[in-house]
Amino acid sequence: MNNKNKVFSLAVTTLLTAGISAKSLAADVTVWAWDPNFNVAAMNEAAARYKKIDPSFNLKVIDSGKEDIEQKLHTMLASGITSSLPDIVLIEDYNAQKYLQAYPGSFLPLQEHIDYSQFAPYKVKVMTIGDKVFGIPFDSGVAGMFYRSDYLEKAGYTHKDLLNITWDRFIEIGKDVKAKTGISMLTYDINDVVLPHIMMQSGGEWFFTPEGEMNIANNQALKETLKTIKAINDAKITRPTSGWSSFVGSFNAGQVATVTSGVWIMGSIKSVDEQKGKWRVAPIPSLKLPNAKHASNQGGSSWYVLSTSKDKEATINFLKKTFAADDDMYQTLLVERGALGTYLPASVGYAYTVEDEFFSGQPVFSDFSKWVAEIPQVSYGMYTQEVDNAISAEIPALLSGDSVDDVLKRVETALKYQLM
Amino acid sequence: MHRLYDINGWAFVATAVGLIALMTLYPIGKSLWLSLHSGRGVILEFAGVSNVIRLFYDPMFKKALWNTLTFLAIQVPIMIFLSLAVSSCLNSSKLRYKQWFRLAIFLPCVTSLVAYSILFKSMFELDGVVNSVLMAIHIISEPIPWLADPFWAKITVITAITWRWTGYNMIFFLSAMQNIDKSIYEAARIDGVSPIKQFLFITVPLLKPVILFTTVTSTIGTLQLFDEAMNITNGGPANSTMTLSLYIYNLSFSYVPNFGYAATVSYVIVVLSAVLAVVQFKAARNK
Repeated sequence: MNNKNKVFSLAVTTLLTAGISAKSLAADVTVWAWDPNFNVAAMNEAAARYKKIDPSFNLKVIDSGKEDIEQKLHTMLASGITSSLPDIVLIEDYNAQKYLQAYPGSFLPLQEHIDYSQFAPYKVKVMTIGDKVFGIPFDSGVAGMFYRSDYLEKAGYTHKDLLNITWDRFIEIGKDVKAKTGISMLTYDINDVVLPHIMMQSGGEWFFTPEGEMNIANNQALKETLKTIKAINDAKITRPTSGWSSFVGSFNAGQVATVTSGVWIMGSIKSVDEQKGKWRVAPIPSLKLPNAKHASNQGGSSWYVLSTSKDKEATINFLKKTFAADDDMYQTLLVERGALGTYLPASVGYAYTVEDEFFSGQPVFSDFSKWVAEIPQVSYGMYTQEVDNAISAEIPALLSGDSVDDVLKRVETALKYQLM
Repeated sequence: MHRLYDINGWAFVATAVGLIALMTLYPIGKSLWLSLHSGRGVILEFAGVSNVIRLFYDPMFKKALWNTLTFLAIQVPIMIFLSLAVSSCLNSSKLRYKQWFRLAIFLPCVTSLVAYSILFKSMFELDGVVNSVLMAIHIISEPIPWLADPFWAKITVITAITWRWTGYNMIFFLSAMQNIDKSIYEAARIDGVSPIKQFLFITVPLLKPVILFTTVTSTIGTLQLFDEAMNITNGGPANSTMTLSLYIYNLSFSYVPNFGYAATVSYVIVVLSAVLAVVQFKAARNK
């Protein structure tokens, strides 16, 4: 290619790309979300519905991993280069306060546009700072104990035997199941926080008090949680896993009898067709505390509008007419994706009575929506990740026999220096 | 005339100097300035040396530093010795299909860090191929929790980095060995020196500059260890594979972001690399 040609083709390419980017800047509302079968699908469903109201509306969901989104959001907000930020971003509830407090002014307060009394109160709390409320609550992380009814039946247990049990009873059953079927009762990942989070919140406490004080050494729910974790490990009913894929892999391969997790795990459970009819759901076992509930929460996330959004009005209107208004959309999301919204007017409806063949005809969502109402309210604060890591550092000491009180005292001292 | 040369010379390097200043020097200066600040996200305040003081109290930093130094102290010697041994085998004139072996041992270091980390993670799962093989040949009777036990997780990461980088260092040794005069070995053989002694007293001393070079680069590489710790174990279990670089990542992207403190920790790596390099140069000179 001679030089003239090169220059010409360069000019054409530049013009073309300029044309394309100018066009995409004009109308599109962009969204960052993870999980194509869940959050991304929900966003696309909402956009399809909103198009009927406003045909000129265009939405583009950029699907990447949760960690990638968190990292990109941090770097862009910190650098102040806002041109490639989306209009809407999905943030996990545990991380919400961190973003809202570390980057003040980066997210749009929406209390003037949205009626927050229509959403589950614990979700609204996560996104509130003072009198400002940010974001639109999305899915619930209400926890349940998914179990393999075929394994449990083999060991002589029915659905009734698993209702309203304590973790002690769970361990007894686990030993029995292991002895009779050779199958481990649950997976255990020394790094993982899902199970401890579920247990602790079911006891009504978190690492921080609602006033923001550290609540570790005297946290009864946390103490019981660690005691239970130790007892579960001592009982030798666990199958060790490491990381997300080996966790999902082990229940997909039928190597464990129960999975205690947020409702969002349902999609992964249902991904194996051959296990249809072999799963059921029971409420989570309870801690040995007077106010402990058989309900808890793990994860869940919400939509946030960035204040750099090019078309704020369209973006807010879109969210308002869909995620804060459309009952029917939530029914569809529930049936098709297993996404349990936290928009209260949508918590009754046909979808909740659907009997799921995968769960032997159990109306799982009517159960889950009952448990949603029982979830003890806690405030997550900003430092959940830091505390998780500090506790995780002490888990080997706990498992090898150190007392829970000593362990928690060490964690608290360590954190005092780390969070200074 | 001289002045013209000067101007021309500077004009030629101006682009490069400008780019280096913009892309390297400016960030270095800026991060040093940043390390004197502390705060949450974009709310940064000038904090002076308080970040440095914080290092001494921060238990997670100490843990990360200790882990990094452990990796360094165990992995670098093993790897350097292995590459030396392998390259000296490959340098032997009796070996056939040399190119194939060389290729096989060098190939790991053209693979992507993340790709091979994920591969290692799946190989070292509880029911992964490593445990299956070890059990099939009856070396172990129960699967080893490679990724779930703090001790074995360290071993897994060390194994992974050694596999990845041995071939890389081997190339340096091989090229250096090919430059050693064959007549020295011949003389040694005539004098009846055993091959092992030839290796220890001829090859190793003559390779000293290369050994020094590979040790310094490996040390710096291990100090910056990130991809493997992130992807194989994510710093766990029980923070046993938390490295300094992973801690910097966590401080910026997982925890409540404190970019100032993260910059301070990254300067610890800079200082450590510099100090260790000086120590290694000194040690090599004294011998």
